[in-house]
Amino acid sequence: MTAAALNRAAAGPALIPVDIGHAVYAALTDPATAFWALVDKSRIAEELAGGPLLESYREKAGSFANELHALRFALTPSGVYLNPTERCNLDCTYCYLPGEQRSGGSHMAEEKLIASLAKLRDYFRSVMPAGRKPRAIFHGAEPLMNKATVFAAIDAFADDFIFGLQTNGTLLDDAAVDFLTARNVSIGLSLDGPIAAITDATRQTWGGKSVHHKVLAAMDKLKGYGSWSVITTCTSANLPYLTQMVELFHAKEVPTCMLNTVRCTLPGARGVKPADGDMAKALFAALDRTHTLYRETGRKLLVANFANILIGILAPTARRLMCDISPCGGGRAFFALAADGGLYPCSEFIGLPRFNGGNLLAEGGVEAALTSAAFRTVTVRDVDTFSPCGDCAIRHFCGSPCPAEAHEMNGGMEKIGAFCEFYKEQVNYALRLIADGKADDYLWEDWDEGTETTFRMA
Amino acid sequence: MTQTVQTQQPQQNATEALTQTAAPTIAVRKSCNPDGIGLSHYVLMDKKAAK
Repeated sequence: MTAAALNRAAAGPALIPVDIGHAVYAALTDPATAFWALVDKSRIAEELAGGPLLESYREKAGSFANELHALRFALTPSGVYLNPTERCNLDCTYCYLPGEQRSGGSHMAEEKLIASLAKLRDYFRSVMPAGRKPRAIFHGAEPLMNKATVFAAIDAFADDFIFGLQTNGTLLDDAAVDFLTARNVSIGLSLDGPIAAITDATRQTWGGKSVHHKVLAAMDKLKGYGSWSVITTCTSANLPYLTQMVELFHAKEVPTCMLNTVRCTLPGARGVKPADGDMAKALFAALDRTHTLYRETGRKLLVANFANILIGILAPTARRLMCDISPCGGGRAFFALAADGGLYPCSEFIGLPRFNGGNLLAEGGVEAALTSAAFRTVTVRDVDTFSPCGDCAIRHFCGSPCPAEAHEMNGGMEKIGAFCEFYKEQVNYALRLIADGKADDYLWEDWDEGTETTFRMA
Repeated sequence: MTQTVQTQQPQQNATEALTQTAAPTIAVRKSCNPDGIGLSHYVLMDKKAAK
């Protein structure tokens, strides 16, 4: 526990009022434990002065603090992003990988990928409980540029990993779909607009050709498959069209999407960064639309990045996406393998050589990378320890993502991420849904399977 | 006299109404062992993926 956290703990649990923009409710939070309660706005003073809420919380505050500490500091890796090639057939405006790698880089040879997965398998067996498989996601650049190698690796290690593939969808032909779906590989596509003109603003080939129709065709191929999703990267180019995006996804029977803020790690991305307020307004309109569609049809379109925010509030340890927690999951819950064998805390850092923690196939391998100075720069980034996050009431519902952005865009690891005000609004929106009894409508059906209720006043 | 009664009565009603209509406190926390998958496909990988 940090000195700052110890000082707070010595003062005893305290609740901070937060205006969530709701007609009836305000939130009271203890950011040190990620505890929250929604109270009638007319009763804030009474609740803060004492009574059943504060008494019940004080009984649990210690266990909640321990739980959050374990989540933030005691995890071991259980997943890896695999970059089997440096190359991509697209030149997206906001990509976090340098253009020279994507246009003229190298593929990882099959024998090197096989050797890498063998070493990763052995590492994960040493740190994960027996019976649990690590997750491995083939990731961008564009992994299907090196398709034969990727598919050989999936078959060679089918018993050792749960595989996923994040692809731009342009090379996902019928044979590839058959191969991947027959092996239960989760498949993620990328699409940035409801029509070609919007997608083309940020996602085109190197020659400037549209790929919108190819992604739509890939979506049609995947219809009915249980494990696929589409990521939309939200930029100033497509923000006015997010509601139409979710309408398209729902019509195409996409089970899960992500409406991610553009990661502002490299300068190209910053050129299409939306303003925080605009991002919030557009995302909430799109989320509202998914809810209407769900009520009209009975079929959910899950917006997974927002679902993770909700779960981080309702059940902090049940969250799965480790961007919205501090320290983030990079270099501690997962890491990334670059096509040249280099290890990085997350794929977001692959374009930044100073964050290379060593080579997987070199002596020391993963263990050496996890304790390297490069990784520790990321894994010690703690929102409790720097301003303004250290005084923020929602800092453990947010995590101030992302360290790569903070470092490259804002000048250091002890700086906020790219979308501070947006995150505050997003947490307020999530709390309003909870106040209105709608939160479950935005989550998958069995999201709380395996959890136990440790606090309830309702 | 009449004025006093008239003044007190609405205050009492307002207090009673406030007490009666204050929204109930909502606070829920669920817990589990964190397994820290952390990857962008986390939801998908928890699902059975049969086509």
